[in-house]
Amino acid sequence: MNFEYLCRPLEHRMSRRQWLGGVAGAAVGALGLGGLAQPAVAQELKKKHRQVLFIWLDGGISQLESWDPKPNTQFGGPFRAIPTSVPGIHISELLPKTARQMHHLALVRSLCTKDNSHSAGVARIQRGDPKNRGVTYPYFGSAVAKLLGPGDSGLPPYVWVKPGSGGFVYQDAGFLGPRYGAVAFGDGKPPENLLLNPALTEADDEARNALRMKLDRRYAERRRKEWTEANSYVFDMAAQLRKQARLFDPSTLPPRDVERYGTHEFGRHMLLARRLLEAGVTFVKVNSYGWDTHGDNFNGHLSMVPKVDQAFAAMIEDLKDRGMLDNVLVIMMSEFGRTPRINGHVGRDHWPEAWSLVMAGCGLKRGVVVGKTNERGTHVTTEEHDIGHMFHTWFQALGINPKEHSYDNGGQPLPIAHEDCHAVTELLA
Amino acid sequence: MALLARAAVPLALLALAVASRADQPLHARIDALIAAKADGRPTAAPAADAEFLRRAYLDLAGRIPSVQEARDFLADPAPDKRAKVIDRLLDSPDYPRRMQELFHVMLMERLGDHPEWTRYLQKSFEANKPWDQMAREILNPITEDESLQGAAFFYTKRLENFGQNPVDYPGLTRDVGRLFLGKDLRCAECHDHIFIAEYKQEDFQGLFAIYRNTVLVDPKKPAVGEQLMTKKLEYSSVFRKVPKSTGPRIPGGKEIEIPVLKKGEEYVKPPDRKTRFPGIPRFSPLAELAKQLPTASNPAFSRNIVNRLWFILMGRGLVHPLDLHHAENPPSHPELLDLLAKEFVEHRFDIKWLLRELALSQTYQRSSVLPEGVKELPPESFLVANEKRLSAEQLLASMLEATGMRERVLGNKGTAEAARAKFVKAFANPEREPEEEFNPSLKAALFVLNDDLVLSWLTPQPGNLIDRLSKLEDSQVAEELYLSVLTRRPTVEEQAEVADYLHKNASRRAVALGHLAWALLASTEFCVNH
Amino acid sequence: MSDDPKALLQRYQPKEVKVLKTDRQMAILRFSPCGNFLAAGGCDATVRRWDVSNAEMAELPPLTGHGGWVQALAFSPPPLTLLPQAGERGGSSSPSPPEGERGRGEGRLFTADSWGRLTCWPYAEKEAQPLWSVEQAHDGWVRGLAVSPDGKLLATCGMDQKVRLWSADDGAKKQELAGHNEDIYAVAFHPDGKSLVSGDLKGVIQVWDLESGKVVRRFDAKQLYLLSRLQDVGGVRCLAFDAKGETLAAAGTKPKVGANVQGVPTILFFDWSSGQVKHTLSIGNDGDGYIFDLHLHPAGFVMAVTSGNPGVGKLFFQRPADPQPFFLYTKMANCHSLAVHPNGQRLAVSATNANSNGNGRQIGKGTEYPGNYSPIHVFDLPTAG
Repeated sequence: MNFEYLCRPLEHRMSRRQWLGGVAGAAVGALGLGGLAQPAVAQELKKKHRQVLFIWLDGGISQLESWDPKPNTQFGGPFRAIPTSVPGIHISELLPKTARQMHHLALVRSLCTKDNSHSAGVARIQRGDPKNRGVTYPYFGSAVAKLLGPGDSGLPPYVWVKPGSGGFVYQDAGFLGPRYGAVAFGDGKPPENLLLNPALTEADDEARNALRMKLDRRYAERRRKEWTEANSYVFDMAAQLRKQARLFDPSTLPPRDVERYGTHEFGRHMLLARRLLEAGVTFVKVNSYGWDTHGDNFNGHLSMVPKVDQAFAAMIEDLKDRGMLDNVLVIMMSEFGRTPRINGHVGRDHWPEAWSLVMAGCGLKRGVVVGKTNERGTHVTTEEHDIGHMFHTWFQALGINPKEHSYDNGGQPLPIAHEDCHAVTELLA
Repeated sequence: MALLARAAVPLALLALAVASRADQPLHARIDALIAAKADGRPTAAPAADAEFLRRAYLDLAGRIPSVQEARDFLADPAPDKRAKVIDRLLDSPDYPRRMQELFHVMLMERLGDHPEWTRYLQKSFEANKPWDQMAREILNPITEDESLQGAAFFYTKRLENFGQNPVDYPGLTRDVGRLFLGKDLRCAECHDHIFIAEYKQEDFQGLFAIYRNTVLVDPKKPAVGEQLMTKKLEYSSVFRKVPKSTGPRIPGGKEIEIPVLKKGEEYVKPPDRKTRFPGIPRFSPLAELAKQLPTASNPAFSRNIVNRLWFILMGRGLVHPLDLHHAENPPSHPELLDLLAKEFVEHRFDIKWLLRELALSQTYQRSSVLPEGVKELPPESFLVANEKRLSAEQLLASMLEATGMRERVLGNKGTAEAARAKFVKAFANPEREPEEEFNPSLKAALFVLNDDLVLSWLTPQPGNLIDRLSKLEDSQVAEELYLSVLTRRPTVEEQAEVADYLHKNASRRAVALGHLAWALLASTEFCVNH
Repeated sequence: MSDDPKALLQRYQPKEVKVLKTDRQMAILRFSPCGNFLAAGGCDATVRRWDVSNAEMAELPPLTGHGGWVQALAFSPPPLTLLPQAGERGGSSSPSPPEGERGRGEGRLFTADSWGRLTCWPYAEKEAQPLWSVEQAHDGWVRGLAVSPDGKLLATCGMDQKVRLWSADDGAKKQELAGHNEDIYAVAFHPDGKSLVSGDLKGVIQVWDLESGKVVRRFDAKQLYLLSRLQDVGGVRCLAFDAKGETLAAAGTKPKVGANVQGVPTILFFDWSSGQVKHTLSIGNDGDGYIFDLHLHPAGFVMAVTSGNPGVGKLFFQRPADPQPFFLYTKMANCHSLAVHPNGQRLAVSATNANSNGNGRQIGKGTEYPGNYSPIHVFDLPTAG
């Protein structure tokens, strides 16, 4: 039996602290400074400054009303398919603006995954559905934060723009530890207490922190340095982040961009995402909720998909114009697709059997479609791709070879992507 | 004080030569055993009075001393003043509160809170209840006894299902193993542990059989029930798919036989569908567990708790991590762990007694400052005091003490609760993450930097720190400030720094005092227990 | 007429007499004015027809040539002379309009689909071919279709936010009414033939003066709309006048949440002269969904069908001012359309098969992945006056 990747937490046999090489390791990691095992690779990646934009349509967008339309078939629904900027590729009429960006995009129509419930699906898909080894795998964002690091932006490596509340979402990090969790900007707003308290001036803030640093220096003189270093680091981080506070000020946005992305929630969040990417954040996740269209699926998609179309197409256009598309990997997906069968509530239910996602940018071919479903859209007729294949593909696209790199979970080597899957080479540039 | 400190060094040296002896008090034997493993490495000097006082207060009272308490202690010439202050703190009302907070964080790992649970812990520590008794009450909660009802919260919180997730019975099983026996059986759920030979799948499954059978009784109050257990739990290893089965069994113990009861005799109190009462079965695996687990004859039980209490005062477990007691992760000082466990049992599982002995030791009373010219001493050597993380509760109580805001904030239930909630949000670990290591976070820094709450405590209000300081001459400010916040007198350099800052900001003295006090509160020196 | 609900029930209680089988889901159902035919618009780009002149109710070959879903369907009104008499069960003479009645009758059926096509059919012919067809009557989904009382004009509306008027004769575009900023779900002609109403996604009902082509009034049905996250939910799903033109019923749901849309089926009864809501009728709970089709009976009650969570559906009769229906039938799942026979003694409901939903692959008997379909329930009403 191959025990290589089985439960092997060496941390269990020895002190975790010993393995982490002291508290500093943990504390610096807390801010996402964790690097790759091989520093040379990290250096190489840093030069290229690769980034990810991960757009999550929570609840499950219908593949039939988006990337894999089957007009005039039993389950095809009411909408038409339209041609795109790539001859021969058609997508739903609900995506007219994205259709004009097709030559930058790569579609996958051959997803076939395991979970048909949200509670399992969201986590399993975003964790890459690795084999169960008694550890909780990190979400893709935490994984990339760990593997690529934060870059030079002074911003957290994993930022999540989402409706609703914000905060520090440690759960995403799994065994990597809370330090690789997401910093969530609820409704695009900055984290609590980021802005300087109005009772203070900039000069006051500088002066009080100068006093604090003197105290810390004296305290550390004859003690283990790590504690002070770790504590100082979070204060430095707070200062760095505050310098970027303008990112959260809508009044600094060009009105034309506001109009192009849309004044709706998703448009606003995508525009913030663009600014975060421009500022150098390694991994930006944008969530849209409300895609679980068990009822009134078609009117729901008619209302929502064009909003996504607007902001997504504007994003691709902007990344292209800014020359960022070569370095930013863009992925838009859900936890599964929706049933071909249309239920009595004119809805579609959960369908992991045959669904689609769209991606673009860093390391990927452009203007391609991979995979095919049958005429009725019920099953994949080409090679089926699980989420593990996508993780392999994404890591490869980012320049990380999942065959060569693994996580070190306190001595337990763990693969970064499911070892029974492989990258989809037709997608890789 | 200086005299005592000087005397302490030769004593420690002496202990090197003298083996721990049974006729000595436990604290002396501790020091001897630590010294015996020093391997010629240098030992840190004894902590200065101020350093000791702050540490003892934080550990035993959960807060820093008030400026008056600090002044009184520093001025006290009595040679036994350290022992006296330890006794005073252990007898003070701060002690049960500190223990309640400490055990709450340790046992619940920020999963949630309940007033009945708080009350149970508080009353138990007020009565200095023996640990075996507490463990029995928690592991087999008696719902009928109102004063003990809160003990069930340890189970009931873990028996809730959140969202669409099912009840995490394996998690509850794990937590009992980790927190009461010091054994994390996680990897033994699906197969025998591959690298920890002594963690067997049957250990996990035997315990799991007990917990798989538990149910929530009342969603409103902590109350746990059991279902009728009539057959063994079936399981198989993911490696060898041989079907196995086990009845209830505590790790390392004997399987408890499931009695065959006649129909109609299975229940002490039969279930009632109308009231949704699940019934009380005659055979209670929890009762069996409570009989076998928290006992003198179960070494894992006592070794776990003494190791945890040691960790609380010494900043690192003799076995570390705390929940991995097994042959390949031996204690740093095996004889010492044996000794602590044995003595603890002999002293009827008396937590206060053990804490007192630990606090009286020179090992506890060492400085956290490394000896001159020494860059590093391993934390498991206990030759220099390990710095310790402060909990959200300790930080709140200490900041209130430091800023002179204690009465004002804690005097009102609303403001007290709001402050506590804010501190927990800012400084506590996420749920299920043991708070054992120092873990500064961005959110905590942002809280200290900009949240209105702490900043408001640094504005002059009648009788608070800033108010007191504002009535002093520039030259007197530093001493009052440092004693109030850091429980020590400022150095000459620090005095000059304070005077200089006040001089530069003469036109807005109150604001400047706020900055100076903030810098101390935000410093590493304040936010760790050193 | 008696005010007693029991008496109403006795007089109008429907009895199910037959279920017509289909192999696909049907979005809309109407009887021909002659009473001999029942037509259904399918979610498979076809129009289905049944000869309902006899008990057999045989199906005719489907009408093809549409795309997507056929969700808008209307017959031209019958010639005045041929209006069926009360008590007469489905006339047998083939309708032929007298001189001067052009536009009325002639056995025409108008259908429109979700791809924008509008087609006119001689529906009584077995192998009917389109009399005319407009490929892009709208850009995309045509939601509503109405024929003017004189039969000369067609009004259509759709997701392109336009109302258009067409010559019923030849499909020539007569007029375009622009003024909505949202997807338009429903249109209806006032019985006087002078005004047209249209209702949109956000609950705006516009009253158009047909002479000037201008909006002359707006009715507020915003309670039928909700913005839920990104999704605009609800809309004016149907509009209908009473025979006298005194009341306009606008229906849909009072939405609570999007995605798996939840809301209480609701009908707003507007007083035509004042434009105010006279009565609000809500039936059932959040999971009961939409009023999908309704008919205002001359006796002063509404007949309507609802569809909500899978499996949930209602057919009910209720007077607007009453607290509850005097007739409620919940044995059909997910009712999407209601057709009332011109003689008033028969109705048909397009419902959905049982167990229409479920996540993931359904394990059926065969290997084929099953689709859903619409059983069409035919009811007869008591004939006694």
